[in-house]
Amino acid sequence: MEKVCVLGAGSTKYGKLADSIADITTQASVSAIDSAGIEPKDIKASYISNVFGVADKQVHIGPVLMSRLGIPDKPSLTIESACGSGSVSFREAYANIAAGFYDCLIATGVEKVTHTGTEWTTTYFAYCSDFFYEGQAGASFPGLFASMARAYLTEFDATEEDFAKVAVKNHDNGVLNPKAHMQKKITIEDVMNSPVVASPLKLYDCCPFSDGASSVILCSEEFAKAHGGDYIEVIGSGRGGSPAALQGREHLTTIPSTKIASEQAYKMAGITAKDVDFAEVHDCFTIAEVVDTEDLGFFEKGKGVQAVREDRTKLNSDISINPSGGLKSKGHPIGATGIGQVVEVFDQLTGKAGERTVRDAKIGLTHNFGATGASCAVHIFQSV
Amino acid sequence: MSVEEQVKENAKQGKLLTHKCTNCGYLHLSTAYYCLKCGSKGFEDVFLEGTGTIATYTIITVAPAGFEKYTPYAFVVMLLDNANLRISGFMAGISTPEDLPVGARAKITGFDERGIIIERQ
Repeated sequence: MEKVCVLGAGSTKYGKLADSIADITTQASVSAIDSAGIEPKDIKASYISNVFGVADKQVHIGPVLMSRLGIPDKPSLTIESACGSGSVSFREAYANIAAGFYDCLIATGVEKVTHTGTEWTTTYFAYCSDFFYEGQAGASFPGLFASMARAYLTEFDATEEDFAKVAVKNHDNGVLNPKAHMQKKITIEDVMNSPVVASPLKLYDCCPFSDGASSVILCSEEFAKAHGGDYIEVIGSGRGGSPAALQGREHLTTIPSTKIASEQAYKMAGITAKDVDFAEVHDCFTIAEVVDTEDLGFFEKGKGVQAVREDRTKLNSDISINPSGGLKSKGHPIGATGIGQVVEVFDQLTGKAGERTVRDAKIGLTHNFGATGASCAVHIFQSV
Repeated sequence: MSVEEQVKENAKQGKLLTHKCTNCGYLHLSTAYYCLKCGSKGFEDVFLEGTGTIATYTIITVAPAGFEKYTPYAFVVMLLDNANLRISGFMAGISTPEDLPVGARAKITGFDERGIIIERQ
């Protein structure tokens, strides 16, 4: 297998964006190309992650991007894996370089939904559930994670204030990220007093619906060395699945796909959870970050809240979780999120993260799942 | 009748159709086509009474389209009696957590545009 490197990375700002889906896809891709210092003709193919292109009248975005980049003859593939689409498109690009099919690829993720309003997005996102059992019975995504939160509160020593503290921490980080959707500090009281969306989750327990695009350039080690410039190495990659509906999970507070994907990635990298300096994890809701940090092996099951309470997941503490601000503060343009996490790791490990830099970091991890974790991909990166 | 249609028709009678593996005996919801444990394809129909206890739930106040008129309502996950099996559904008339402690008794009572209907007993 070829070693795979990330040679460049770029994102639009996340938030409510006025430009079209095709425009933001191209803007992020051009910033990744410029960051890598390559030319479009170096790119042999593209992997595009997107879920609701239909909302902005553009599906089959790949050929549109390639045409705008002046390489319409190059192939593209659009990938949908709900909120985990970005990490899957990254994985496909990774696998194609590892297998030796290509030496340089672009993986771009995009979503443009905020113009459709809360009801449309709530409704369409529910189509990512096991619809016969969940969406059809009125489950929203906040509702499904709220069901996990209720189970966690019942089973473990945890409070709603503990969950609120995750949101406060991620907003503290997001304030330092100029690309973040929600660049404002919040307090535990702000979270507790925000309107209930699906009890026990309140508005500030939930990530926002965001527009945005992120893009990375992946290449072989040979290409990276010949090209020069900053790059990082992909040392682990794993994917896993879970029963699509929550009802089918052995435990209601564990996401099996996270465990499967991370175990594969740790094994490939030859490391354990203890070796990870920082992680971008899928905190679509505050409860998700707590569960993620347990399933990834950073903390024992049921102890994730204690770590939050003791500030062990803050920037430059025991393990910096979501230095970018995470989905909660940076935002969650669902097709872009998994790629955006890699952008953050690239920036962190190449000294471009500014005030939110994780000090002395060598190893970063990305964790991104679809729906309630029915699909998941984990990647591990190392500075060079 | 399709598998989903069978689930709907049985739920309307307050029953839950399940599939028991004829090879290893593992019990599944009837949308399973292959056994989760042994991979075999043979199932026999087992009709459960649709009763159980609430494993977890949420009370939804910001609803997907079509459900605004029902808010607040609960989406519940119920652990079925005498089976290591859970089923999700819609529960009306729940507005605060005091209305529905985890562990409360509940039963499937129907199926309509709100999916499988579960009521507190």
